Amino acid sequence: MTALIEVENYTWQYLNAPQVSLNAIDLRIEEGTFVGIIGPNGAGKTTLAYSLDGLIPGQYRGIKHGTVKIRGREVEEYPRGQLQQKVGLVFSDPEAQFTAMTVEDELVFGMENLGMTIPEIRERLEWVTELTELTPLLFKPPYEISGGQKQRVALAAVLAMTPEVLILDEPTSMLDPVSRKRVFDVLAKLKQSKNTVIVIEHSLENLIPLADRMLLLSQGELLLDAETRAFFQHMDLLLEKGISPPGAMRFFHEMAKTGRYAGELPLSVDESLAKLETLVASRRTANGEMA
Amino acid sequence: MNKTLLGYVPAESPIYSIHPFVKLYFLLVVSLFPMFISSPEINLLITVVVLALMVYSKVDLRILRIYIPVAISMGWVILLSYTVLGGEHPEYELLYRVLGVNFYWERIRDAVVVYCRILPMIATMVFFLTTSRERDVIVAMRTMRTPFVVTYVFAMALRASGMVLEDFQIVRQAEQARGFDTAGKSIAYKIRKYIMYMIPLFALSLRRTEEFTNALVARGYAFTGEAARVKRADYILTHYHFRFSDGVLVAIISGLFLVLLVMRYAQGKFSVEASWVLNWLYQVFS
Repeated sequence: MTALIEVENYTWQYLNAPQVSLNAIDLRIEEGTFVGIIGPNGAGKTTLAYSLDGLIPGQYRGIKHGTVKIRGREVEEYPRGQLQQKVGLVFSDPEAQFTAMTVEDELVFGMENLGMTIPEIRERLEWVTELTELTPLLFKPPYEISGGQKQRVALAAVLAMTPEVLILDEPTSMLDPVSRKRVFDVLAKLKQSKNTVIVIEHSLENLIPLADRMLLLSQGELLLDAETRAFFQHMDLLLEKGISPPGAMRFFHEMAKTGRYAGELPLSVDESLAKLETLVASRRTANGEMA
Repeated sequence: MNKTLLGYVPAESPIYSIHPFVKLYFLLVVSLFPMFISSPEINLLITVVVLALMVYSKVDLRILRIYIPVAISMGWVILLSYTVLGGEHPEYELLYRVLGVNFYWERIRDAVVVYCRILPMIATMVFFLTTSRERDVIVAMRTMRTPFVVTYVFAMALRASGMVLEDFQIVRQAEQARGFDTAGKSIAYKIRKYIMYMIPLFALSLRRTEEFTNALVARGYAFTGEAARVKRADYILTHYHFRFSDGVLVAIISGLFLVLLVMRYAQGKFSVEASWVLNWLYQVFS
């Protein structure tokens, strides 16, 4: 697969910051991959997202080493407006990213900036409102809708620009579980249509079923980069870094530690149930044989 | 009613079928009418007409209650400025002298004229705010070919003012939760302690500015440079069509303005001398 994003030996330190925010990051993300990024607060996750979108170094002052390339070209080399056609970024606070007076204005704003024609805008608007189920809200002011709806509007506004890679920086951190699920439902649709998506998220229950690959950042270092199943086999490291994996996964990890389970940790509740049933059945068989 | 950043607008109104440009044109032109009219009765008549338009537009007139204290305060300020603080004018006709203060007829007359000029202006502005959603204002400005950057800055200012108000509530509630509350305290205390709200509000606003800028950049917007030179389609305007009836309304407003100018300057109408209200007031005072 083609590498859409290539980060090589990338270090970033904000001006006047006592230490680097990202340190010697090497990362390669192929087209069509769904990547999850996790890590404790201050790990450098948002800095990495901003670096991929060109907000760093464009909007922030600091010291940069190494390279961040999108489609083989350094982010700084893109004229403003062109990089945003390749990389779309959704911020964690939906309230702060609205720039217009109605949901519809918000959705078309980015497309107008890219110089799209009215028919193109109309077509994409129809597609994105259907995808994110926002049609009934089109003429409402963004400040009148709920938090979950706001985040879907923010997501739709970026999606409408059809970027090649979509980055979401803790998109559900301010949402209730129902709204969170609706945002992830949209992301599931994007995964089905083979979009390249990078999600920074603490809510692992929703992220794990979608992620092809997971990254662990801690204190500016990329500590772990692996395919999702392999990633969660490093449970001790994850727990040490303050990551809180889903309960079912932790249950099997505890079982493994006490020697009552050997094998890969399950990624979902369904998988856990299946493994548990197999485990119980094998125990019964073993007990039956012994008896 | 629906809430907007500008106030409250009716959920349904016949005025929504009118192009936003016509409403803005009405505001801009009709607000000028009182400048050319000295007769208080004509200005009061304009006020009544604008209020009637509000009724026709299904505006809840209870909304006017918030403007009444402003109108009364303004009236007193104008009256005091022209009379008590109006100074010595030997050339004017002295009506009374109370506690060393001279009350001249011309100064009282001017205060009434100025106040009656302001009332229709306020009514016109209220009419506009209670019948226009934020988007209408932007559409009207863009229809007038106002540069995008200007309309956008205006929209951002509206948006930002709403956010500052929301942030102010957050700061106030957070401080109340920690035992800081100015409710029931004296005005002097409130003013002194207002800084307790202003510092966090200022810090929040700075953060919002950064987030807002990032959001604009992430959407490919730029005020200057190559990106700013992209030929923009204006999608919002495709929802609005300037119909024949809108043209007729613009023509009527323009025509009325022209008639007003002719009557004022060619025929000498609407002057203080021609006002029966002022003549009646003169008889009352003298």
